[in-house]
Amino acid sequence: MKKALLLILVSCFFGQLKAQTTTQKFSGMYLGVSFERFAERIESESDYSFFYKKEDVENLQVNLQANNSDIVMILNQVFAATGLTYSIDSSNRIWISKGDKIQVEFPKDYFIVQDRQDNLANAGDSLSAFDKNKRFTIGKSSDNPQSKTAVLSGVVTSIESGKPMNGAIVLEKVDYNQIATDQNGKYQLTLPKGRHTIWVQNIGGFQEQRQIDLKGDGVFNMSIEETILSLDEVVVSSGALSNVNKLDMGVQSITIAEVKRLPAVLGEVDVLKGILIMPGVNTVGEATAGFNVRGGAADQNLILYGNSTIFNPTHAFGFFSAFNADIVSGVELYKGSIPVNYGGRLSSVLQVDPKFGRSEKIGGSGGIGILTSRLSLDGPIGDKTNFIVGGRTTYSDWALNLLDDEADLNDSKITFYDINANIQHTINEKNSLELTAYLSQDDFRFDPDTTYSYQNMNVALGWKHFFNDELEGKFTVGSDNYEFGIIGIENPLNSFKFSFDVHQLFLRSDFEYRKNENHILTFGLHGIQYSLNPGLNQPYGAESIVIEKELDNESAREVSIYFGDEYTISENLSVSYGGRYMLYQLLGPMSVNQYVDGAPITESNLIGVENFDKGSTVKTYHGPEFRVSARYTLDNKSSIKGGFNTMRQNIHLLSNTSSISPTDSWKLSDTYIRPQTGGQASLGYYRNLAKNRLEFSTEVYYRYMANLLDYRSGANIILNENIEQDVLNSDGKAYGVEVLLKKSTGVLQGSLAYTYSRSLMKTSDDPSVEKINNGDFYSSSYDQPHHLVLTANYELSKRVNTSLGVNYSTGRPITLPISKFDYAGSERVYFSERNAYRIPDYFRVDFSVNIEGSHKIKKLAHSSWSLGVYNLLGRSNPYSVYYTPVEGQLRGYQLSIFAQPIPFITYNFRF
Amino acid sequence: MNRIVSLAAMIILLISGCREPYNPEIEPADLSVLVVEGYLDTEGLPSKLKLSYTRNIQTENSFTPSYPDAIVSIRSEAGVDYPLTSLGDGEFEFAYDIPEEENYRLYISTTDGKSYTSELIKPILTPDIIDVGFVKNELGAEVFLTTKGDENADDFLWTYEETYAFRPKIPSSYKFDPETMDVVIRNPDERTDLCYRGGVSSDLILETSSKFENQFVFRQAITQILQDDEKLSVRYSILISQKALDKKASEFWEIMRKNSNDLGSIFSPLPSNIGGNIKNDQDPDAPVVGFVSLGTIKQRRLFINVREVIPWRAVEPAYYSCFVEPDTIMRADYAQSFASENFVPVVPIFPDGAISPIGYQGTPRRCSDCTLRGTNVKPDFWED
Repeated sequence: MKKALLLILVSCFFGQLKAQTTTQKFSGMYLGVSFERFAERIESESDYSFFYKKEDVENLQVNLQANNSDIVMILNQVFAATGLTYSIDSSNRIWISKGDKIQVEFPKDYFIVQDRQDNLANAGDSLSAFDKNKRFTIGKSSDNPQSKTAVLSGVVTSIESGKPMNGAIVLEKVDYNQIATDQNGKYQLTLPKGRHTIWVQNIGGFQEQRQIDLKGDGVFNMSIEETILSLDEVVVSSGALSNVNKLDMGVQSITIAEVKRLPAVLGEVDVLKGILIMPGVNTVGEATAGFNVRGGAADQNLILYGNSTIFNPTHAFGFFSAFNADIVSGVELYKGSIPVNYGGRLSSVLQVDPKFGRSEKIGGSGGIGILTSRLSLDGPIGDKTNFIVGGRTTYSDWALNLLDDEADLNDSKITFYDINANIQHTINEKNSLELTAYLSQDDFRFDPDTTYSYQNMNVALGWKHFFNDELEGKFTVGSDNYEFGIIGIENPLNSFKFSFDVHQLFLRSDFEYRKNENHILTFGLHGIQYSLNPGLNQPYGAESIVIEKELDNESAREVSIYFGDEYTISENLSVSYGGRYMLYQLLGPMSVNQYVDGAPITESNLIGVENFDKGSTVKTYHGPEFRVSARYTLDNKSSIKGGFNTMRQNIHLLSNTSSISPTDSWKLSDTYIRPQTGGQASLGYYRNLAKNRLEFSTEVYYRYMANLLDYRSGANIILNENIEQDVLNSDGKAYGVEVLLKKSTGVLQGSLAYTYSRSLMKTSDDPSVEKINNGDFYSSSYDQPHHLVLTANYELSKRVNTSLGVNYSTGRPITLPISKFDYAGSERVYFSERNAYRIPDYFRVDFSVNIEGSHKIKKLAHSSWSLGVYNLLGRSNPYSVYYTPVEGQLRGYQLSIFAQPIPFITYNFRF
Repeated sequence: MNRIVSLAAMIILLISGCREPYNPEIEPADLSVLVVEGYLDTEGLPSKLKLSYTRNIQTENSFTPSYPDAIVSIRSEAGVDYPLTSLGDGEFEFAYDIPEEENYRLYISTTDGKSYTSELIKPILTPDIIDVGFVKNELGAEVFLTTKGDENADDFLWTYEETYAFRPKIPSSYKFDPETMDVVIRNPDERTDLCYRGGVSSDLILETSSKFENQFVFRQAITQILQDDEKLSVRYSILISQKALDKKASEFWEIMRKNSNDLGSIFSPLPSNIGGNIKNDQDPDAPVVGFVSLGTIKQRRLFINVREVIPWRAVEPAYYSCFVEPDTIMRADYAQSFASENFVPVVPIFPDGAISPIGYQGTPRRCSDCTLRGTNVKPDFWED
């Protein structure tokens, strides 16, 4: 950390030295020019800059001829008998004033004092105090003198750790230019040349300021204090604060600090549940981690941990997310304009950013909750490498044991764990490596006969290389794996073991090229090699007579290239445009059923089987994706944005249930199941209110989708060799409006999000045996028109923070039994048209309190308590309704998952 | 996969979930859909076809159903017509030995002017049941069946009908005779200490034989009798029917099974609209429920005696808190206590050396009279 400070200091001294030793000479004729023109010419020929009041020099004309003259000689002549005086400071700034000279020299002992302070152990405060009062000159005015603006860039590091700060906001408060630093603490701002006060604020940290004089493009590195000293925690969400200025639309960010304050089920901090407070994000119920973005299915969300695709981001059947909040630095959800470097899913991209280790000391954090405990450790390995490793495990068995007598849960068992390990290594200034690894495993059984398990395993290695100031490249290679299995041993003769797995190897290269301040070009290549085992059923144990059944393995490759440009046309208008081109090939060996052309795909229309050899191409799909968005700034406080994008998706989740279940399997596009395609157009208005304390935004969107999957009545999904006979090619459309009001400052913070949205499907016009609801549009299972989320945080004191969450949404659609009849000796039900009815509306209030321990720096561990109540009102929100015969009479029941207030408490610590 | 249902139910219990009655407001949809049920025997055994209508879901059990009047016949592709005989209440009898290699259609014309035609039906001869039996397991006793598929019969449907003998908690062979005002021994036709009850199960068991080696379906579980269930407290009988189905019929039954069993839990599949192989001629899009098959039904009956499964004690909620009242009802009080028939004599009390009892200890009738829950007439098929 001292290095960075030293660097700043050294550069200051160096600048000074240079100013004192070089004396620039000027030659030329200045006849009858205004002082302003004169000053501009001098500024353009040298690194001198003038500072004056316009009215002081209004009537001043310059008439002189210089011949290798010193600036002092020239200025003396210019100001002779004008009543104006001037002074030149060490940075070659010329200060013009009426009457008295401006004092520009530092006291002689000024820097000596600074040197002495630098030797102190804790130099941070005084140094930053010094930084605050100093005006830094950035760049040379001789660079690119025509331009009125210049690019200010640099790295923000922590004073305490010296680590780059991710997500710190660098802000200029006059025109409200701002940017959040990236993972490496880097920022870049384009500002008008001249003096500025730059504010910098870490998430939850103090705001600090720096005075700069921006003369040309230049680097300005800053060290600021980290959270730990700050009692006044102010959470700044990078996405939201700059909503008005950002070019992206439909992007929602949430910090882990925000997630941690949300009341959680059983106190488990859950990043996936955190995104449900955002407008446009719905869920069909509490027992699923699947979420629906803008009327899309749950499998249309690309969930990335770093660059790794997570196929099942849940634990315990979807009750908890499989991300350890201590290993995550932030979450961003792209639902509107999806950046051109992402692709492969129709609805959204959920980017979960991994956390990397500290570089100054080894420390850790952890928590003890009702159901799980977690622990993580991070720190440096040598100078250039840091690591973080974390794990989480459950001990929920005790809860099951408590229920044993009543619920007959003998031998039931739920175990899960997840492990993360991330390593970051800086090779040199231009090269760095990042390794992220993730493993999550679930095993559960509720009777001794059947055991379920599933596992995610991901590893990715990235190499970041700065070719030069303008071009930056990142190369990533990785492997993503997901598998699940069921072992049934009820009867030794019929014992079986079922397994499914999907594996993908990926390679991607992403480049960012900044030609000048108006263009940021991104381009790259993304390749995925899929290999998928759709299902294998084996006999289990020596006595079993189950015949082994295995579906053909599927393998495919997907290659995408992309190019995008973020183009600042004028101060007010920016556009981002680009495209991807995706090539997808399903590869052999494989046998493909052949059906009568133009007839429905049914067993009776099966006319043969075509066999493909290993490596041969079974089916190729390719097509472009377009991404266009534009922002027009109306004034400092408001802007409008519009966008249009198209997407393609080659991997589908086969799910016949209303929510995602862990036994849902993935399927690659094949001859009959075509890639899902879709497009979205959106328009938004953004406005900051009440001196930027309130932020308002609204977006409308319309989406269309093709080749969605719905299922025939009674479709069988598991181990179905002819799955194409059971799926129905469907079209979809979705539209809606989202409104968000957010307050991110002050003692009371929070947000209010309202969404009106519809999501409809219809069986496509292709020939098919069954048209759901006669081929008309019907509500999809996640069509919930009204959705309102209120979250409010109130800071009672620096250590006690209370949080309230209110959640309302229309009940999801359901197919209800509407009549009954007798058949096969029992009363049976006859169902309505698909999704013709809705379950009752959902309404829930949660409350939590977070209590921080003392904020002394020197103590063993910093601890905090989280306690609260989930579903405070104890409302039994139905998750589902169903009918079942009870003593011959059909009765309707509604099923709630959290039907009473659920209190929770968690202890967290950090060292 | 059925396990997922119970699994989800467990997890809900775990996280303090809750199940409450639900009575939604349903649009008064005038749904009177024709329902056709029948698996007609092609070898001449009389078999029934049933016609009925769907009724509103909230209809109580006590309602009087209305049945369609119709003319029903089976016609072969060659044009031979086999009319069915109406038995009333929507039931029709089919009793023809018809050639199995032909294809047939079912024709229904109802008196309201509508007519219905089935898709082509190919008779399937059901293979014999090889074995039925039971095995004791930790849950109680499981009844199983073994059979073998062939090239025509791959998918199977099993349904079953249970009958069992049982005794009341407090058996008694006495009754109060209002004529003599005395307690007498019951006649054999009046006995209340051994009865029979049972019925057709709503369970539908489906399996595909080609999933197994040589299409040999070995010890397919039919039903599980839970330990200490009253069904096995004396003697139990199960009649299992085996029907071979074609692919489409098996899909229909699978939907019916799923719609009956798998609904409502968290991970259960979406409910499916059920159809069948019958269409309305006037409006092909109009719903008709039912899948009519032709073929043979194979049946096997199994008896299990309580001695084969001991230890087994009957635990029947209907007889909770049943015991013999300790007070002796003296002869003078017989009429007062026993005449209402809500209280029955059980234990005669003899003083030392006496030949006739001075009185009886009694118990409430519900604890002693098995005819309240069954019949004391032994079924024809019953073998002791």
